[in-house]
Amino acid sequence: MNRNKLTIALAGNANVGKSVIFNQLTGLHQHIGNWPGKTVEKAEGTLHFKGYTIDVIDLPGIYSLSTFSIEELVSREYIAVERPNMVINIVDASLLERNLSFTLQLLELETPMIMALNQMDMAKKKGIKIDYKKLEKLLGIPVIPTVALSGKGIYALLEKAIETIEKKVNVKPLKAQYGKEIEERIERISNLVEKIQFKYPARWAAIKFLEGDKEVEKELLKISPEIVATAEKLAGEIEKIHGHSCSTVITSERYDVASRVSREVQEITPPIKPPMREKIHTLTTHKILGYPIMAVSMLAIFYSIFTFGDYTSYLIGDSLFGLKPIFEGLFGTGVVGKLVWGGVMEGIIGGVTVALPYILPFYFILYFLEDSGYLSRIAFLMDNIMHKIGLHGKAFIPVMLGLGCNVPGCLGCRIMETERERLLTAFVVTLVPCAATTVIILGLVGAFVSIQWALALYIINLLIIFLLGRLAFKALPGEPTALIMEMSDYRMPHLRTVLKQTWFRLAEFVKMAFPLIIVGSLVIKIIEILNLLKPIANFLSPVTVTWLGLPAITGIALIFGVLRKELTLIMLATLLGTANFAEVPDFGPVQMIVFTLVAMLYIPCIATIAALVREFGWKKAYLITVFEIVFAILVGGIAFRLLILVY
Amino acid sequence: MMMELRLSDLRNGESGIITSIGVGRGRDRGHGGRARRGWRFGKRLEDMGLTPGTKVTVVKSAPLNGPLEVYVRGSRLAIGRGMAERIFVELKR
Repeated sequence: MNRNKLTIALAGNANVGKSVIFNQLTGLHQHIGNWPGKTVEKAEGTLHFKGYTIDVIDLPGIYSLSTFSIEELVSREYIAVERPNMVINIVDASLLERNLSFTLQLLELETPMIMALNQMDMAKKKGIKIDYKKLEKLLGIPVIPTVALSGKGIYALLEKAIETIEKKVNVKPLKAQYGKEIEERIERISNLVEKIQFKYPARWAAIKFLEGDKEVEKELLKISPEIVATAEKLAGEIEKIHGHSCSTVITSERYDVASRVSREVQEITPPIKPPMREKIHTLTTHKILGYPIMAVSMLAIFYSIFTFGDYTSYLIGDSLFGLKPIFEGLFGTGVVGKLVWGGVMEGIIGGVTVALPYILPFYFILYFLEDSGYLSRIAFLMDNIMHKIGLHGKAFIPVMLGLGCNVPGCLGCRIMETERERLLTAFVVTLVPCAATTVIILGLVGAFVSIQWALALYIINLLIIFLLGRLAFKALPGEPTALIMEMSDYRMPHLRTVLKQTWFRLAEFVKMAFPLIIVGSLVIKIIEILNLLKPIANFLSPVTVTWLGLPAITGIALIFGVLRKELTLIMLATLLGTANFAEVPDFGPVQMIVFTLVAMLYIPCIATIAALVREFGWKKAYLITVFEIVFAILVGGIAFRLLILVY
Repeated sequence: MMMELRLSDLRNGESGIITSIGVGRGRDRGHGGRARRGWRFGKRLEDMGLTPGTKVTVVKSAPLNGPLEVYVRGSRLAIGRGMAERIFVELKR
């Protein structure tokens, strides 16, 4: 191993300023990917300091090292098994007690550790004074006060980390001292564990066995089932003594230590006047006012994104299409030229005119709102509505994202804690009408049938979401979901962190969606050149003509829609030879409504499918796609038969 | 008078001390022992600081049976109503 190479992991609760510290440390040298095989984000960055090359890993923000969420599992596996040279525990100084309970769990992993006591400015505003020297003494690890937003203390933090690693000080951290009856049993189990080759620290493993941790138990069952049996017996004894489950007792006693330590080191003199952020909180979560405030903010956001997007999309598209003569000059207008321009370039242009004008501002606003704390208030307000479809408040955020574009919506499902909640939310997201679907609804039904029918389609879509959401919730086994969420104090977002988040998300979108859009548009171009469009349309006619009552040509438009949904409309205009759909003979209001309904539901576009594959694997993505195609055709056919009764 | 209530039954601004977090509603609540270990959301609540003996204050609840805003150990949490119905607290009224 290279002696000058170090690995430092950042660990802490959510909303403690961890990502800001990560950005302060690593600047632009970052790489964001996923943990192998997990839908958990892994942020890694490098920095050079005092002759060392330091790899910094930003672990997900979590509250515990149990196995409630995938994030917790990933974090503890990393610290316990990969063993970084140093863990920097980032702590919110204004919420010391709860943060310390996590610190105590980290210490149980017996990893070299220092603490960044962050948000000292916020603590001060709340009238909290912390004696960090005393904290250092009580915990037995170095503590550095920091203000991540302004960069205060970051250098000292890094210096201390290196110093601690170099000195190889045998950190003798304070162990959460549990009651005598628990400590005795921890010792008995850890003595047993020490005798076998186990990948986790003995004391930590012993505590986890007593807590009934299924994952660690599974590992041990392979090696020594006897220890598991002993642990179970001992846990039962503790339960008898306390009248609560052993896990409850341990968590409880750990919190007692955290509470005692925090009382000893802090002095609180709360400000007399309620601060601005409290007033904003009260207003934005108000049982009556909260909703109009939310609606107005959402409308303002969507309106400004679409206005900005329309304008820039047009500008970018226009100037890129200006390149056409140059390409034709280079590649000619033959087959090659057609493939290069019509296949590759038009695919790229299509992607660019969506990604930059719409997705970029969308992400920016989203991360701005998230950092400020407003998203958690929205989740609070929307919780009971989301429960109607078997989800909880947090799921409203990916769903809202899906209204702009289903791709960020699907990726945004990561904020849900469990795999099941993620899948359910993603399924709902793929049914949400995205911006492109809105183009079809308004551009076809809204313009040529009536605005009432366009609105009716939205309502139908909403009903379908509720219905299918509920069904999926019932069909997927698992526990009911519930909201447990911190609403951290409102604060001014750190602009550089928000910009960076936006940038990485955008890059992620481009990497995932672009290759598929380009390949897809190339394939369709080839089909076109080979004159296969007509045969395919004829092949589909039993579905399109007989069942759905649509002109055969719409089959082609629907195939194009797989690339990007708004292409269905553009292709329809091209194929019919006119954009004034009212004058097409076989394409009356009934056909328009049925066509739109099918286009709305029939498939997540290719980029969304890619997002699903990435988050949930091929099988689930395939199932969702096939289901939605069949479902859309079914609904379309029924709608056709009902509509001819009306019209 | 001391009484035991569900957290969801507290009025806005009232505080209570957590006595237990039950698995189900009504009859089968209480000391489920190891059977209760399977209930992951209970563990989650405890991890967030809602352990027996802790003081918890209900600030307000969202309309139409929405979630509760509570204060516990200096932090502000949103807890779904179904969850709050399973948290038992002791208080003086």
